[in-house]
Amino acid sequence: MEKILTKQSFPEWIEKLSAYKVYAPIKKEDHWDYEVVEKAVGLDPAYGNAVLSPKKIIFPQREVLFEFGSQTKEGFDLKENLPEDEAVVIFGVRPCDAKALTGTDKVFSGDFEDPYYRKRRDAATLVGLSCNTPPSKNCFCLSVDGSPFSKTGLDVLLTDLGETYFVETLSDKGEQLVNAASAFFSDSKKKEKKEVEKLQIDAEKKIVRQVKDVKSLPGKLKEIFDSSFWDDESLSCIRCGICTYLCPTCHCFDICDEVTCEYPLAGKRVRTWDNCQFPDFTMHSSGHNPRPDKASRLRQRIQHKYNYFVERYDEYQCTGCGRCIGKCPVGIDIIEVLNKVNEHGA
Amino acid sequence: MVNLEELKSEIKRVLGEGKVKYFIGYRRSTGGLPAAPFFMKETEDVERLIWDPTCIANLTRFLDDEKKRKARQKEPDTRPIGIIVKGCDSRAINVLLQEEFIKREDVYIVGVSCEHSGMVDEKKLAAKMKGKAVAQVDFAGKDNFAVTAADGEKTGIPAAEVLAGRCVECKVDYPVVRDVTFGEELARSPGNAFKSVEKIEAMSVAERWDFWKEQFDKCIRCYACRSVCPMCYCDECVVDTINFAVTAQTGAKEKAQKIKWIEKSPATSENFFYHMVRAMHLAGRCVDCGECERVCPVDIPLRFLNKKMEKEAKELFDYDVGMNPELPSLVSSFRDEDAEDFIR
Amino acid sequence: MEHNDYIPKPAKLIGIKEEVTGGRAIKTFRAKFLNGHGFSHQCGQCAMLSVFGKGESMISISSSPLQKDYLQFSIMKTGRVTSALHSLVEGETIGIRGPYGNNFPIDDWQGKNLIFIGGGIGLAPIWSVLQTALGRKDDYGDLTLIYGSRTSADIVYKEDIQALRDKMTVHLSVDVEEPGWEEFVGFVPANVKDKALKPGNAIAVTCGPPIMIKFVIMALGELGFTDEQIYTTVENKMKCGIGKCGRCNIGPHYVCKDGPVYSWAELKKLPPEY
Repeated sequence: MEKILTKQSFPEWIEKLSAYKVYAPIKKEDHWDYEVVEKAVGLDPAYGNAVLSPKKIIFPQREVLFEFGSQTKEGFDLKENLPEDEAVVIFGVRPCDAKALTGTDKVFSGDFEDPYYRKRRDAATLVGLSCNTPPSKNCFCLSVDGSPFSKTGLDVLLTDLGETYFVETLSDKGEQLVNAASAFFSDSKKKEKKEVEKLQIDAEKKIVRQVKDVKSLPGKLKEIFDSSFWDDESLSCIRCGICTYLCPTCHCFDICDEVTCEYPLAGKRVRTWDNCQFPDFTMHSSGHNPRPDKASRLRQRIQHKYNYFVERYDEYQCTGCGRCIGKCPVGIDIIEVLNKVNEHGA
Repeated sequence: MVNLEELKSEIKRVLGEGKVKYFIGYRRSTGGLPAAPFFMKETEDVERLIWDPTCIANLTRFLDDEKKRKARQKEPDTRPIGIIVKGCDSRAINVLLQEEFIKREDVYIVGVSCEHSGMVDEKKLAAKMKGKAVAQVDFAGKDNFAVTAADGEKTGIPAAEVLAGRCVECKVDYPVVRDVTFGEELARSPGNAFKSVEKIEAMSVAERWDFWKEQFDKCIRCYACRSVCPMCYCDECVVDTINFAVTAQTGAKEKAQKIKWIEKSPATSENFFYHMVRAMHLAGRCVDCGECERVCPVDIPLRFLNKKMEKEAKELFDYDVGMNPELPSLVSSFRDEDAEDFIR
Repeated sequence: MEHNDYIPKPAKLIGIKEEVTGGRAIKTFRAKFLNGHGFSHQCGQCAMLSVFGKGESMISISSSPLQKDYLQFSIMKTGRVTSALHSLVEGETIGIRGPYGNNFPIDDWQGKNLIFIGGGIGLAPIWSVLQTALGRKDDYGDLTLIYGSRTSADIVYKEDIQALRDKMTVHLSVDVEEPGWEEFVGFVPANVKDKALKPGNAIAVTCGPPIMIKFVIMALGELGFTDEQIYTTVENKMKCGIGKCGRCNIGPHYVCKDGPVYSWAELKKLPPEY
């Protein structure tokens, strides 16, 4: 359904959502970060995008899989630690970040369903916010089947019409959220729908950065695998984890045991984000490392996003949010790299 | 003024004569305002070299890469590499020389003057421009920048308003070690080099704890602060799950007994531990190039920590980091007049 | 309760045998699931072994699926988890989850001659298929084992290999000359060439150090084996075992899920990141 919500009523809507844990982007120093909303306020018009996408809520950087104790007659004490049943709503989700979750959905489902991810994902209602202006100068969603008004992966999409929001519900979860405070929403008119369409056209024109000929990349990347291109492109890489940790689609993780110094044994098996740019990511215990240098690791990041993932899941593992470009300490620009891949050998 | 064309011809000359393996300078970044590190191999590459107040990156960080690359090669090219350094960067070279991590002949140093202003802080400039996109920033005489917006509009901005924190507290804005220099050494009236730390020092212990807890709780452990630091060159780092130094010859016992000092979990305890270890390891070594703070994606004010250590070194031991490669390093030396007498 | 692949099931160590001692120690563990837990595996599959407090390691199951009483794992002491495993004693409990990965297509190999080529601890991942072939001897033609180790002290499954000699052809080798050694001296690929294996109606299965595998494949190629006749099993660092954690990939393949068993025809198409 399509509705209109005045900006004045927006905080009141949030207040009605007492059945949910509500997240929204909160300003921190010079960046935005999703945090639990203590007091309902409106979305700041200055909000661009959060430094970490809602990935950090659905797939938290640290998750205790289970707790273990010492050996018993039956084996050992083990306590599974699935997320609590708790409905979550996330406001201000940019279309690229919602689309990213549809990619991680594929990774965490399939023949080995990941119950931790699944529970958090099912419990979350995503309220998107169309990008009337691109949140970053490095936005390039249009190149990767996205759009600043994309509805993919969202339950509700809000479009800022100045004094009001145009509200589109996109799923049952989304309708429930609106129905929780239906009195605040009025029916939309044709005029407003037209306005949204116009805003979308304008917004798309404002996205200037572009990966050219993206469809040919998987093939090109296969051809270029052994090229010294990767050595040159990775020269300035400092092997930090910004590009992948900030990426809304990156899903790699580590599993480690964390123990206390106490006796008897007590500890937790913990899953944390991990990172293909770190040298120890692939290192065997023998010391052998299949990706021993930064060239092979940069290659892995690009190949995974624009070749391997496409082969496996038939979509790019990149939604064009531009985080890895804007935050790279040394200016490694995935758009530039991909365009060079396409031109390579031409 | 640094004459960019003269700078380019010098680098072309050095590259053309084959005196260096390659030359590290700056190029315009396609992704953001700060200039990107630029590895020039051929003389024609040099055309893309830039020098302006966005050249904030400390390129000496790549000396570590070069050293390790050389160590892996059977017959390494032993020619030096060329590098452009600002005042603070040059002090990093001095520390690396002092620690014998590099040899003087490993680097051909082209020093540049910060032209009596300094480097621009991307975030401060964005705030000043109220969101208007910036295409270029140029030096515009003493203490001034000329900013060209993406729409072509030009504005003059007093440097002090958008200067990087490190430059506000700069002590030496002229290279202290170099083979050749560009730009004049201008008399600078040094302000209080430790002004920013006063804010933290004024806090009570409880306030400090709250402040740092909030800051470190943001940390996502991307290790960009470590990775960008020219002093973080260790083969083994306490934060890594396996140490890089593991080789085919490392025994099982040794690997199994490696203490896991720190968990990967971004928990308060682990984040504190990480940042404290890094701060301690930088005592008397940090030249306040400010790169750690600049690259932090979650805006942790790391310079406070490093500045405090630098201030301690100055006040307790009258030690200035990176000013003299001949002096022993702070943590490896003892003088009779030193404050602590536990060592006697 | 929801199915949760990350939860290991308790298994008791019912037998631990020291195969090789010293710096590259190898022990063989036999484990039996407790409390009615368990799984049935196929030849070539792996399982995640937990020592709580130390972590998990992916280990190939070296017992045959025909062996229903226990699961067998032969493990070289090489890091934190494997060292912890080596310090365990019989009767202690570990965690096991799995089985993971694909398997050797042994049903497709019916009627063929099977050649097993192993080096060092690399015998363990192909031991289950070897044992299964022996158990179903009528289904297959001639069976041959070529196995090499650094020294005679590094040979795994010593008594078992001796017992094999009645049932199949066995060629052993050590890397360097040593007193009393009467069989081949040299690396495994050299022994492969020395024995002039016949490619006709044969399948060769090899596992060992990466460098050995590479040269064995070259040697087999020289002897006329086609890429489709050569099988190997590869390893990479793994954490989840179920194709999600992202580190064991060789190109678009996850070794834990799409591997570890590959024909050389398949593997040579993938990037050499293993």
